Amino acid sequence: MAYTPQYGPGTSKVAENRRNQMNPNVKLEKIRSVTDEDLILIMGHRAPGQAYPSAHPPLAEQGEPDCPIRKIVKPTEGAKAGDRVRYIQFADSMLNAPCQPYQRTYLEMYRFRGIDPGTLSGRQIIECRERDLEGYARELVETNLFDPATCGIRGATVHGHSLRLAENGMMFDAVQRCILDTDGIVKYVKDQVGNPLDRKVAVGKPMDAAWLKDNTTMFHSLVGTAFRSDEEYVKYVQRIHALRTKYGFMPKEA
Amino acid sequence: MTEPTYPQLRIVPMRFLNPETVEILLDRLFRVGGIRRLVLNGPSIPATVPYGPARGTANPTTYRRTIQVCGEEYLLGVQVGTILLELEDSSLIPDIKAACDEVFADKFPYGITEGIYMRSNMTTTDYAKYGIVDDVRILGMTDPKSKQRPIILQGNR
Repeated sequence: MAYTPQYGPGTSKVAENRRNQMNPNVKLEKIRSVTDEDLILIMGHRAPGQAYPSAHPPLAEQGEPDCPIRKIVKPTEGAKAGDRVRYIQFADSMLNAPCQPYQRTYLEMYRFRGIDPGTLSGRQIIECRERDLEGYARELVETNLFDPATCGIRGATVHGHSLRLAENGMMFDAVQRCILDTDGIVKYVKDQVGNPLDRKVAVGKPMDAAWLKDNTTMFHSLVGTAFRSDEEYVKYVQRIHALRTKYGFMPKEA
Repeated sequence: MTEPTYPQLRIVPMRFLNPETVEILLDRLFRVGGIRRLVLNGPSIPATVPYGPARGTANPTTYRRTIQVCGEEYLLGVQVGTILLELEDSSLIPDIKAACDEVFADKFPYGITEGIYMRSNMTTTDYAKYGIVDDVRILGMTDPKSKQRPIILQGNR
């Protein structure tokens, strides 16, 4: 029988959202559109219109050694062209943000190629070749993985994911990279490390509370779905905890 | 030696406050009067970008600005999340609650609790840091490393 991945346990809406985001066969819902130039400005790795700087000559010119693995694994476009490795980093609020660090890494490993994610409690960084990064960043920002108010594109000084929101519903950011403008649209006024931008970069309207509650992948007993309400998930976590405590992940049940 | 114990309150709104709301709230609280000490607590908003490639560049934000408190100017360096209060006597607590109700009525819920949130007596650590302190009201209020001093508001009663 062919193996079909289950992606994760749980019967709650949060668990279902987690599975849907991880499953590469489920198309992510496109909610907003951001231009190439806007994304490049927010990430701040190169000037818009500038050619991709390279870290090494293109693979075709480089002369690859005769290697069976290289024959099996096709290089990504960025690797083929010899692009530099660059990053985008997200901080996601615990108050019903549509994605969160571990979830991001899981879904990116299922959906993207040639990436190196770094997962921390309050932020998640994804590193890859610049050309590929721009494609992936577009998917991460334009789809239902992103909410302009509760997700932040933050390269440094990321603190804020576990704090209360500001009065206007924006996640705390000591550097205030994005603002909720008077027209109700969230605009980036600084790039991801905090350098001021020449113009405001719009990333769309914040999603409303009902949408966030329905699309979040974070359990929260006060503002969203309580973890304890999902019995299957609790049992699964308890089982893993018992197994790793007793057997160091040896696949034997007690 | 018996120290007088003053009632202390902690106000925790559900959202971080804008400087404008802080001004309104403080103005309303000072109209109640009888406040010995007040601390505005919250995550710091730095004057310059603290980390990363942009470290040291100016950090213009709408949250770090000078606020007016009873005619005095004060540079607000945090996004206010918690307000600690010490009152002259506990008969003022209902008035403080009423003032908060008024300010937060059309905004969001808040919590107010009574307890001990600021020190009133000197600890050994305080002595090591400050030596002999003339005005003990400062204990438990400020970061000893901070160069910004507290403001003293007078004559509002």
